[in-house]
Amino acid sequence: MARIMTKRTAPRRRVWREATVRAGMVVPALVLYVGLLVVPVGYAVYYSFTDYNGFPNQVPEFIGWDNYKRVFQSSDITDSMVVTGTVALAGAVLVNLAALGLALLLQQTNRFNTFGRVVMFYPHVLSALVVGFLWQAMLGPQGVVNTMMDKVGHSSLPFLSNPTWALWSMIFVIAWSLFGVQLVLYLAGLQTIPADLIEAARIDGAGRWQTFRAVTWPALAPTVTVAIITSGISLLKTYDVVVSLTGGGPAGSTQTLAYSILAVSFPGRKIGLASAEAVVLIIAAAVLAFTVLALRRRAEEGAESIG
Amino acid sequence: MTRSPRLAAMVRIAFLSVLSAAMLIPMYILVINAFKSQQDILKNPFTIDLSAATTEYLTAAWNNPDFSIPKGYLITLGLVACVNVISIGLCVPAAYVLARTPKPLFRLILMFFVAGMFIPTQVILIPVIFVLRRLTLMGTFPGLVLFMTATTIPFTLFVFTGYIRVLPRALDEAAAIDGAGRWYTVWRIVFPLMRPIVATAFILNSLSVWNDFASPQVILGPGSGIYTVTTGVYAAVGQYSADYTKVFPTLLLAVIPILIIFVAMQRHIMRGLAAGSIKG
Repeated sequence: MARIMTKRTAPRRRVWREATVRAGMVVPALVLYVGLLVVPVGYAVYYSFTDYNGFPNQVPEFIGWDNYKRVFQSSDITDSMVVTGTVALAGAVLVNLAALGLALLLQQTNRFNTFGRVVMFYPHVLSALVVGFLWQAMLGPQGVVNTMMDKVGHSSLPFLSNPTWALWSMIFVIAWSLFGVQLVLYLAGLQTIPADLIEAARIDGAGRWQTFRAVTWPALAPTVTVAIITSGISLLKTYDVVVSLTGGGPAGSTQTLAYSILAVSFPGRKIGLASAEAVVLIIAAAVLAFTVLALRRRAEEGAESIG
Repeated sequence: MTRSPRLAAMVRIAFLSVLSAAMLIPMYILVINAFKSQQDILKNPFTIDLSAATTEYLTAAWNNPDFSIPKGYLITLGLVACVNVISIGLCVPAAYVLARTPKPLFRLILMFFVAGMFIPTQVILIPVIFVLRRLTLMGTFPGLVLFMTATTIPFTLFVFTGYIRVLPRALDEAAAIDGAGRWYTVWRIVFPLMRPIVATAFILNSLSVWNDFASPQVILGPGSGIYTVTTGVYAAVGQYSADYTKVFPTLLLAVIPILIIFVAMQRHIMRGLAAGSIKG
């Protein structure tokens, strides 16, 4: 294929000009991205090996792996890692079960289903901070749910005041606000399944469940993988809901790693420690991301061999 | 067509109706309790006595000295607009070059950008403070705009590049023969064809900017006196979460516009999200 723009015979000056124009188109985006996302990651790595406290006149002193040792030895921080892991894992399972189930129920396009999709999705357009405050008013000791239970003669439940209850209340609230996104993803995935495949299964006498097992589920597998892991990654960053729903309490039982970084270590001027925690979380997200990409490639190869 | 699935269909409709109602309960609670006194909320949170309903608390929330809601809207809207303009303005030409240059270097640059999609932004906010301080943009609106724009670049660039790749190359070649420069080709020929994907990026980026709390909280801080809707809600409600006459009206005022926009544009928003999530 002859390409007019980059012909070898073109005069040198033109080639040079062409390269400058191209650079001029990419460099601004690159500068902003590197300056405010990549450089900060670099800073986080650098500070994580120092005792920096954030005062402009303090020169960060190199202290080796001390911050990382502290991250893995302080029970506060390891607890928050367990909380983060629980939120990511249980949240991802809950969100995806709800989303997949509802996607199957709402897959036909009609008025009722459109209404259903909007209702399932709307919590996502509210900010997580607002969602947290709203559910705090619902689930708090004097909240709506406990008042109503009191009225029907049931004793109140410690949704947010007992450590175990609080963690699961928070996971429920996050799932409530998040599963709409995955629902849309699954609906899009379901649409890519050729209708004749499903029809063929029906004609062969397969029941609903059999059709799901033999046709829908395998065809949906790539979507499922991606949906589980992307929701896992966004759950790893849980911060806003913690601020507004529980404030990390009671007794640190809902304190996620992101909350520990921004609301505990940072105000305590432990920039080195906060950076080490950040690096740990970035590595966790990267591991998950690589898993997505690897699984995705495998799924795509699988899809190619079918199609 | 047999008639046996009829019962199943009815069960399905009943189940979905109950679930939809359950999903809407928090919204219902939020709306009715915004018009009631603390005592009334504590006694009857689930019902509203219309004769006793008052807009007193909504007015008070609107005029809250800690956080001016109209100003919060303006600032957040400005933030959304600035981030979108800069992000789209930078990503369209960059994506065009990355999509149209089949050289390993450019593929590497694209991968470098895409890797940014997996950086958890809340977590690097602390080092961002030090970068912005060097640029003397810490605690300022432009500083927040630049950081939030940076967070949108990886995703936006990724979906744009994927979209431009499937646009026919003959278009650019024809433009080049006619003597059009690269910039002209990008903005006058390629960009108009990108409308669907630009809409997707616009919707997703707007939602994430509008709803972000951690970035404005850390970058603007209470000292700057600049509040977005989320940091303003936090300032107004955070310490008074037991005073429901503050909580419900403030939250209601904070969510109404975005809910109206969502209901009016739900088809575009959900379609855009589906397009983005398949590509992303």
